[in-house]
Amino acid sequence: MSLADVIFTALGQIRSNKLRSFFTLLGIIVSVTFLVAVLAIIQGLNAYVKENIADAMIGANSFQVRRTPLNVARFVDEEVERMGRRPLISRGDAEAVRQAFPDAEAVSLQSGWPTPSADVTWRNRTVGDVLLFGVTAPHQIVQDYRLEQGRALSDVDITQRRPVAVLGPDLAEKLFETVDPIGQEVRIRGDLFEVIGVNATKGRVLGQSFDGYVLMPLTRFEMMFGRRATTTVSIKMRTAEEVATAIARAEEAMRMARGLRPGEPNNFALETSDALVDFWKTLTQLLFAIVPAIVSIGIVVGGIVIMNIMLMSVSERTHEIGIRKALGARAKDIENQFLAEAIALAFMGGFLGVAVGWLMAAAVAAASPLPTRVTWWSVAIALSLGAGVGIIFGVYPARRAARLDPIAAMRAE
Amino acid sequence: MSDQFGSGNPLTTTGEHNMSNTAERKAVVQEPGATPDKSWVIVTRGLKREYDMGGEIVRALRGVDLAIRRNEYVAIMGPSGSGKSTLMNLVGCLDTPTAGEYWLNGMLVSTMTDDQLARVRNKEIGFVFQTFNLLPRATALHNVELPLVYAGIGSDERKRKAKQALEKVQLEHRMTHKPNELSGGQRQRVAIARALVNDPSILLADEPTGNLDSQTSTEIMKVFEDLATSGQTVIMVTHEADIAAHARRVVVLRDGIIASDDRRSAFKEQMGLV
Repeated sequence: MSLADVIFTALGQIRSNKLRSFFTLLGIIVSVTFLVAVLAIIQGLNAYVKENIADAMIGANSFQVRRTPLNVARFVDEEVERMGRRPLISRGDAEAVRQAFPDAEAVSLQSGWPTPSADVTWRNRTVGDVLLFGVTAPHQIVQDYRLEQGRALSDVDITQRRPVAVLGPDLAEKLFETVDPIGQEVRIRGDLFEVIGVNATKGRVLGQSFDGYVLMPLTRFEMMFGRRATTTVSIKMRTAEEVATAIARAEEAMRMARGLRPGEPNNFALETSDALVDFWKTLTQLLFAIVPAIVSIGIVVGGIVIMNIMLMSVSERTHEIGIRKALGARAKDIENQFLAEAIALAFMGGFLGVAVGWLMAAAVAAASPLPTRVTWWSVAIALSLGAGVGIIFGVYPARRAARLDPIAAMRAE
Repeated sequence: MSDQFGSGNPLTTTGEHNMSNTAERKAVVQEPGATPDKSWVIVTRGLKREYDMGGEIVRALRGVDLAIRRNEYVAIMGPSGSGKSTLMNLVGCLDTPTAGEYWLNGMLVSTMTDDQLARVRNKEIGFVFQTFNLLPRATALHNVELPLVYAGIGSDERKRKAKQALEKVQLEHRMTHKPNELSGGQRQRVAIARALVNDPSILLADEPTGNLDSQTSTEIMKVFEDLATSGQTVIMVTHEADIAAHARRVVVLRDGIIASDDRRSAFKEQMGLV
């Protein structure tokens, strides 16, 4: 019996029992759908973190000179302790970096993350726990903030430690509603600040607004909170390609500014948005390990269902098996026929699961800001799991069919 | 019915010929281990089949010596329990004997493995069953194709041969119909076409008219008659004397051994059919 005939016979059998075949496959379809869709969503989250969160926090085409790395989870306690003794990032460091980068789009110094929060009050209205950032003028460029109203912080605001503030749009909306915020005075921790500008919205990230903040001159900020350990220099290049070589130059400039001898380790850290993505990925790695494990359980259960249905099918078709054997089918022919049926079923389940998972991923991508991505390897895993289950759980029923005695089988009805 | 038997086959009408046949048969079955010459399509020597029915040994066949020449039309008769079904299963290579030899077409079948037997069934034997045994969900054409599928013949060649076989039984117009869309007689003719499609050495029919009315039975017996006349070896297992009487030779089994092996005329006399 040729392979084509084996496959044709198997497909014919599946087709003639459409509804039963479908229910047989449900377990595998659901498992594979889950696998493909969840992995696509995780991939989408990763991409989203890269494109939205990481770039939003660090700035597109940007990198940072920091005291400690973003993702300290990668280091052992001893190293973290040693990092704690590093000098803070100073204005001198920022100036050294700025001079090394005449070609940068902007170099800023800011209070960094995490940052203090405080109540902001205007007349009798108060908005609680607003994030406060101390920044230099180029921060507006590094973060790609666009102004909606008023003006941005200027160098003079910084040098003169003026009590002025640029507000995030959410905060401005909550405090002033229809009143023009420009020129109004708000109270933050007892001090009055004049509102000079309101930034345009950056939208929401995973339902979390990033638009409720106060930007004030770094000098003014440090009068209130002192020099913070999180103080960071941000360097924004014109293109993403320039970032890699720029990092090396920044390292050199920092080592010179700090007077480090060759062989002495850096007492500062350099980070791109990749570091945030890495941090996120260490979180999602666990999901990548767990999801296939959960799915395997589902698929094994699906496989057992297939085995049951195949055993039922063998006993239902005993008479047919007898006829086929009488007409010259060898044990192997019968075994192949049933095995092919089980594999074709399981493979179809995998295929349908991939299709449904793909659709679900597409639906999530359409309905949410997550750019879900179905990866080729999740499809490969799904299809090979499907076929593998067909082989493993198809062998036993197929062997049973193959071993039937033709005379006894033909007597069965 | 009797006028159907009026014109006989020249092979079996002369007594002399039959006498020599009988002698040759005796000779060929008494040479254990010797390969029979090509004119013998079936030779069994001391064929025994015993079943173990929960500790009790049932002797279904107790030593059957049977020799059938190519082109013969033989009926195997006997009451139920006589061992005729067992003999038919052995002759059809669906079962293997407990003892004795079975030579089919010069091959010692009695020592073959299951897979070898499957190959022999596929190539040498065309089965026609009482209950037709067609695949219910397959068309007439596909049913006829089935032995060719297991012979490993390609799709085009298969279809061509299956169509030819259906033409032989005048069913080419019902090719695309499924068994439940066919009458009993048509179903049995599909089964005959399927049995013939591989050009088997023997056509083995087990109560082929058992599920048919007398009108249709006559038609089907006519098909067998024509096949036998055209040179096809036909072996028919039946318990009905008037069906057996169509054959040129009737072997009667009783209690697992051959009770009589006669020309048709002698059998008919014995059964009071003339």
